Formats: sequence, structure tokens, C-alpha cells
Amino acid sequence: MPPSQANVPLPPGYQLEEYRIERQLSLGGFSIVYLAFDKDGTPVAIKEYLPNSLALRSEGDALPSIAEENVATFRYGMKCFFEEGRALAKISHPNVVQVLNFFRANETVYMVMQYERGRTLQEHIQKHKGEIRESFIRTVFARLLNGLREVHTHKLLHLDIKPSNVYLRNDGQPVLIDFGAARQTLSIDTPLLKPMYTPGFAAPEQYNNTRRELLGPWTDIYSIGASMYACMAAAAPQAADQRLDRDLLVPAPKRWPDKYSRQLLETVDWCMRLNYLERPQSVFALQKALADKERSVPKPTFLGGLRKHVRNLMK
Amino acid sequence: MKFTIYQESRPGRRPTNEDRIAYSYSRDSLLMVVADGMGGHLHGEVAAQIAVQYITEAFQREAHPLLKDPFLFLSGALGNAHHAILDYAADRFLPEAPRTTCVACIVQDSIAYWAHAGDSRLYAIRGGRILAQTRDHSRVQRMVEDGLITAEAAIHHPARNRIFSCLGGASAPQIDYSKKTPLMTGDIIVLCTDGVWGPLPSDVIPRAMGSGNVVQATPALLNQAEARGGDNADNLSMIAIRWEDNYAEDTLGSVSTKTMPIDSFTTQMEAFAKARKGTPPLPNLSDEDIERAIQEINAAIRKFSK
Repeated sequence: MPPSQANVPLPPGYQLEEYRIERQLSLGGFSIVYLAFDKDGTPVAIKEYLPNSLALRSEGDALPSIAEENVATFRYGMKCFFEEGRALAKISHPNVVQVLNFFRANETVYMVMQYERGRTLQEHIQKHKGEIRESFIRTVFARLLNGLREVHTHKLLHLDIKPSNVYLRNDGQPVLIDFGAARQTLSIDTPLLKPMYTPGFAAPEQYNNTRRELLGPWTDIYSIGASMYACMAAAAPQAADQRLDRDLLVPAPKRWPDKYSRQLLETVDWCMRLNYLERPQSVFALQKALADKERSVPKPTFLGGLRKHVRNLMK
Repeated sequence: MKFTIYQESRPGRRPTNEDRIAYSYSRDSLLMVVADGMGGHLHGEVAAQIAVQYITEAFQREAHPLLKDPFLFLSGALGNAHHAILDYAADRFLPEAPRTTCVACIVQDSIAYWAHAGDSRLYAIRGGRILAQTRDHSRVQRMVEDGLITAEAAIHHPARNRIFSCLGGASAPQIDYSKKTPLMTGDIIVLCTDGVWGPLPSDVIPRAMGSGNVVQATPALLNQAEARGGDNADNLSMIAIRWEDNYAEDTLGSVSTKTMPIDSFTTQMEAFAKARKGTPPLPNLSDEDIERAIQEINAAIRKFSK
């Protein structure tokens, strides 16, 4: 399957039901996101389901061409897209992107989301390489965790948290976007639709597709830790699967002892433990650590980890 | 590697059984193969026998104890079985090479790999629902999938038994390969000939396997298919496994291969077996399903947004 093929986006000015396409915002392996305006002229972000391993749109066409043998998989993947819609529709939180509408057109499906003005955390990191202050990290992530807590309350995992999926609104509020990976059970059997985990931000347990039951709040928490690390390093940390093989990640407390408080560095390190049992087990636990600068961070204990592990095996 | 396996082949109401089935496993790898020799052609059972035997022997040569590349193995084994059938026909100056369908599945490291030519089928079943299945190399079946004719019409279609790919035969087979399919505890894999799936409504096999008891469900399904096949019941053959991981509770009659020597094999090949006809559709997301999902999401958006 040639994954290198790129889909041609709908052209500017294209009338998609009640929305007029302005331009493409981003292109992923699974979808295209557009900036568009609704009939009142309000800007919206529209995500189009179009996995480029299954459906290809050529220049000048609106309808993608889908090889006969891919039709079933294409439709199956739509389920994942619906999962994302379902997930987001139930959540109304200032730090989680809001879905406004969902519709079918051009033989595929579209999700309309609120358009946020601002830039991604990724862009912010690029712009302020190495000069991101502790107060910024604490504030942005504390708010972001409020949103993530709401997501977890709905029994959902984001599973692709990374700086480019965190949007910083002009008013400073972070918004968690792109829940494309937030499906719980569907991706296992369809390699063509496998979510593309971003190296450096995905937790080690995400690389083991057969043990989905290991995924939990701690999985998103690893990605939060890695994102905080990326704010400090201005680059993605070593990928978790490589860390399992040979851990070359310099722990935050060793790398920036003079730049950030020890407590923040230890919190980052705590989130990025390879053993998921040693990480904060809930967003709430992590929020407490981020809110309280004096609070000490638990040290990994061999026995503690072992005990929990045994308990987990007995479940 | 731990699993429960059951296989059975019956002649139905036909004078001969042209189906052949076999499974073989080493310590770390499992092969299952089903072939349906084609009755309209000379020596259908010979083609099926050659295919099953050839593929099983290749497996025993190469799985020590793991196959290096299961897809490469399947490709080589099915391709070579095709040529072995042609050689057999050539040696005996047969006017036409005998033909057979073939579906073969490898499971190792809890991942299933399969390949097929013709209309013998494989279903991967999880929780009583079809996770994946082969697509028959049958024009009538493809017409049903494309919505050109109804499943009902297909049952009586004059070309329902015609397939466009098989082993043996004048043209090279079209062999289709599955995706790598990781298995979880309790997953079921069924291989069967059209004598089994043909007479049964499409949801019967996954539902029957929902119980997880392949030892009971397999003969029960064969009984049902045979009864529905009536006086004209085709040969019927089926292999079913229930995959278990090592932590699962001990199941009666299940096989654990952990203590097997690396170079040993256990093989069970049925001496007689055969089949041909039928029609169930792919597990598909229908237009109605899509509309329903969209309505559901929009209802949730209205309900939860302030």
C-alpha cells in the first residue's frame, strides 16, 4: 500500500453543504482539516474523513476514488471517525475542541468544529525555542489537564496528545484538538487504519497493539509529560519504543537543574516513567503535583511497582 | 501457544467427498488448511489432496518452530501446490488439470495470517461477530456485495458455483492475503467449504461460535448445514479454533504447545473430505448505519452543547 500518496484537498471557494471552504489547515494520513465559513460567515474547522491509504481524490474532483477492495475497510474506518464525533459531542469544556455538526457528503463524512484563532503549542515551542518559562508550562498544562480530566470522565482516552494537538487560543487558553486516535477498540485489526502514533509522545504501552487493556489515563499522562519535556527541550523526547530498548532520555531533573524548579522537573520525569504503574494514575493526581510547588513527587519503588503489577495480573 | 481446535469433514449426500482438510502445529506455529476439489473437473479430490498435503509438508519443513515470514510461506506454499497439481496432470497426460479451492491460515505469536483462492472461506470471529472474512473469488458473490443482485437471487443464480480463482486449472490462481490479525483470548477462527456456509444464513456461523465452544459448535453447524442442504447436500468441511492466551482458564480438550520439543509436529489430516455453492455478505457499514451514526452524533451535539 503506498502511503506516500497525498490527497488533493477541496479547492478554496468550494461549497460544501452550508459551508464555504476557505483553505486547507492541515493534512493527515486519516483526514484533511479545512478552514471554512458557515452561512453567517462564522469561521469553522471542518474535518474530512479521507484515509489516503484507501481513498484518493485527484485534482479537480470532489469525489474520492476508492478501489473496490478497499470499500469495506473505508467504511469500517468511518466507524473510527464516528467514534471521534461521538466522543467530542458529549464533551462541552473550554479546553476541549467543540463539535458543531456532523454530516455526509462526497461519499464520505465531515465533522464541523469550532475554529479557534491562535496557534499550536508546537508553533509556540518553535518560536520560543528554549525560552519557555516555568510559569507558562504550569499554567498551560494545568488548564489543559482540566480538559483532559473531562475527557477521562467520559471514559475516553485521547491517545495522541502532543504539542501540535494542543491549540493555544489568543486569550491564552489551551484547547485539546484532534481526537482522531480516541477510539477505544476499533483499530486493532485494520493495519491500514492504524492510528499514526507520534514518536516521542506516545506511551510505551501504545506500541503494543495486542494489549489494549494496558491503556488508561496513565497513557495520556505519559504524553502530557513528553509534551512538557518538549517545551523545555524544544524538541520531541526519545520515542518510548526506543527507550524500552535503550533508554537514552536524559531525565528532566538532570538536564535542566538550573532552569526549572526541581519539583516541576520531577513531575515531568514522573509522567514519563516507562512503567505505567509508576506514573500518576489519574489526571487529578498530576494536577495536584502541578498546582503545589512544594509537594514532593513520589519516587519509584521497586516493591511498589511489583505489588501493583501483581494486583493487575490478578484482575 | 494455546488453543482449542476441532475439525470435521462429511460427504453430505454426495457419493464421494472431494473436500480435504488438515491442521498441523509446531511448538510456536499453527497451520490450518481447507481445500474443496472441484467436482465438475476430473479428479477434484486429487487436487484437494495434493494441495493439503503439499502445504502441510511445506509447513513441517519450515516452521522450526516459527515461520520466518508467514505471508511469504503462504504465497510459496499455495503457489507451489498449484504447480504440483499441474505436474500431476502432466505426468498422467490428463486432458485437463484437476482443480481445487484452498484457504490456509497460519497463527503464530497470536497473530493470524491467511490466504485463499476460490470460495472456501475463513471467518475471524470475536464476541459472536465477524471481525474479518475472506472474499470469495466468485462473480455472483461480488455482484451481491456490489448490490447488483440480492442474496436471495444469488442462491438460485445459474453461475453461483463458478469461481474465477483456484489451484490447478489453466490460469495462475489469484491468491488474496489477509491483513496481519492479532488475536485475543476467546477469538475464533473458522475455515470451511461452501457446503457449510452455502446453506446457512450469514449470521448463523458467527452466532453459533459466540458460545466459544468450538468442539460443540462445529458439529452442530455441520448438522444444520447438512439438514438445510437436503437431498442434494454438498460435501461439508470445517476447522475451527478458539484462541486462548496462557492466562486463560483451562478449557477442556485445549492444546498447550509449551512443552513440545522445538522440532516436533502434531498433524491431523482427514483422509476424506469435499464441497461447492452459496452467499453471505461482508460485515459492512450500511448507508443506514452511517445515517444512524450521524443522527446520533448530532443529537448528542444538541444535547450537550450549551
